Amino acid sequence: MQERGGTALIRLYLERRSDLVRFFTMRLRSVAAAEDLVQDIYVRLSGLDQPTEIQNPMAYLYRLGSNLMLDRLRGERRTAHRDGAWLDSQTTRIGTEEISAEPSAEAAVAARQRLALLTAAIAELNPQTQRVFRMHKFEGLSHPEVAAALGISRSAVEKHMMAALKHLLGRLP
Amino acid sequence: MSRTEEIPGPGGVAAAVAEEAAGWFARLQGEAATGDDWLAFERWLQRSPTHARAYEGLERLWVDLDYAPVARDLGGRPLMAARRRRASRGSAASPGRRAWIGAGAAIAAGLAVAVGLGLWSAPGVAIQTYQTGPGQTRQIALADGTHIQLNAASKITVSLGRDARRVEMADAEAVFDVAHDTARPFLIAVGDRQVRVVGTEFNLRHRADKVALTVRRGVVEVRPADALQADPTRVTIGQMLTYTEGEAGSILKVSDPGAAFAWTSGQQIYRDQPLSEVAADLSRRFATPVRTADAHTASLRFSGVLVTDSEPEVLRRLQAFVPVRVEQTAGAVVLHSR
Repeated sequence: MQERGGTALIRLYLERRSDLVRFFTMRLRSVAAAEDLVQDIYVRLSGLDQPTEIQNPMAYLYRLGSNLMLDRLRGERRTAHRDGAWLDSQTTRIGTEEISAEPSAEAAVAARQRLALLTAAIAELNPQTQRVFRMHKFEGLSHPEVAAALGISRSAVEKHMMAALKHLLGRLP
Repeated sequence: MSRTEEIPGPGGVAAAVAEEAAGWFARLQGEAATGDDWLAFERWLQRSPTHARAYEGLERLWVDLDYAPVARDLGGRPLMAARRRRASRGSAASPGRRAWIGAGAAIAAGLAVAVGLGLWSAPGVAIQTYQTGPGQTRQIALADGTHIQLNAASKITVSLGRDARRVEMADAEAVFDVAHDTARPFLIAVGDRQVRVVGTEFNLRHRADKVALTVRRGVVEVRPADALQADPTRVTIGQMLTYTEGEAGSILKVSDPGAAFAWTSGQQIYRDQPLSEVAADLSRRFATPVRTADAHTASLRFSGVLVTDSEPEVLRRLQAFVPVRVEQTAGAVVLHSR
């Protein structure tokens, strides 16, 4: 009988929990923070309600935890970005009414400058790299989906992503 | 591996390190990465603090890019094909699976089905259902540049059509950061009202028959779902609109948007709200449901900020603010007044 995806993952999680704690302790520079995060991975796993086909279950656990780290980072960065980092040069129009965004805080100004740099750097990418990057990052397509849509291999997608990320990182002060 | 770390490039990161970090980031995001890749990545990180710094720089820019203005037309048909495949593979909504609209709102349900027929039959429109379980939240980046952050125990259906972008909101709470597009209004069916957006950021909460809309940027219009030509109620920055399904009136008041958006940064903010609401929020946030033992406990009022990091911690803090004690039963946490 086919084992439910969630159950197999939880078993693997329990077997390899100490590996995860060690890895995230290094990433978070704190045992307590790592324990919390690894516990969160468990909470997510218990919430998986459908059998999931996962190619590399162990990599999936690491990725899940890394995405939780990114979510936390999002929470921290949100303050800087909110109140009009990416749209505040625009006004909102409803009917004949035009509403300007709220004035930005200093943090929002810094965030906007950073974003302007990144946006300009994306525009500098060669067309195919740019397409791959946008589809994966902004359209939310997975690597295999991008590969299928563009008729290229998965490793080509990976190479384009790597080139794009390296370029963007190099453009930041 | 890299022996060029001493030569800093732009951003204080040596080009070779930046390249390796980018390589790891790209590889580990792909489904082809293996457990061994992660172990090798761990060793790479340990080799030098500059490695960790470069990787963290990538994570920060990855997150910041969530706010980038995104071009909409990204490649035409192949992309649509990919989206359609994804929609049909996942739990894409079909007209038969709309029971969640709620039997109580008969008129609203009727309308939603009518809208739905037009929606489902439109060619080339991918319909996608997004769902979270208790304790899960989810970031959704739509093709039009709109970002949706879905709170725990929530379900929405999205379809991006040529003339309108539509969302149906079942029992759910979400922050919408809607990309500006005058040509395609963003329409949300929520209970017996329709919310119309052009480009703005707001939190929308639909739990049981209660709806609350809080706007952080721009203006949102709300109309009865069965009278779309009626003059709308306009909700703007710093206002909150609340209403109960099936009742005609709405309440519009001044509100700090921070409170409504707090869940996105792992907090819940309450102002003189009954413990029953706090318990319901915690049940969505965590794996073990939280109940109140009796009507008296349910009616205790709570004001304050709860950091929702872990269930035992939250309950411990709650006991410091509210005269309750916590009982752990099989499968639930029960709050008793003391």
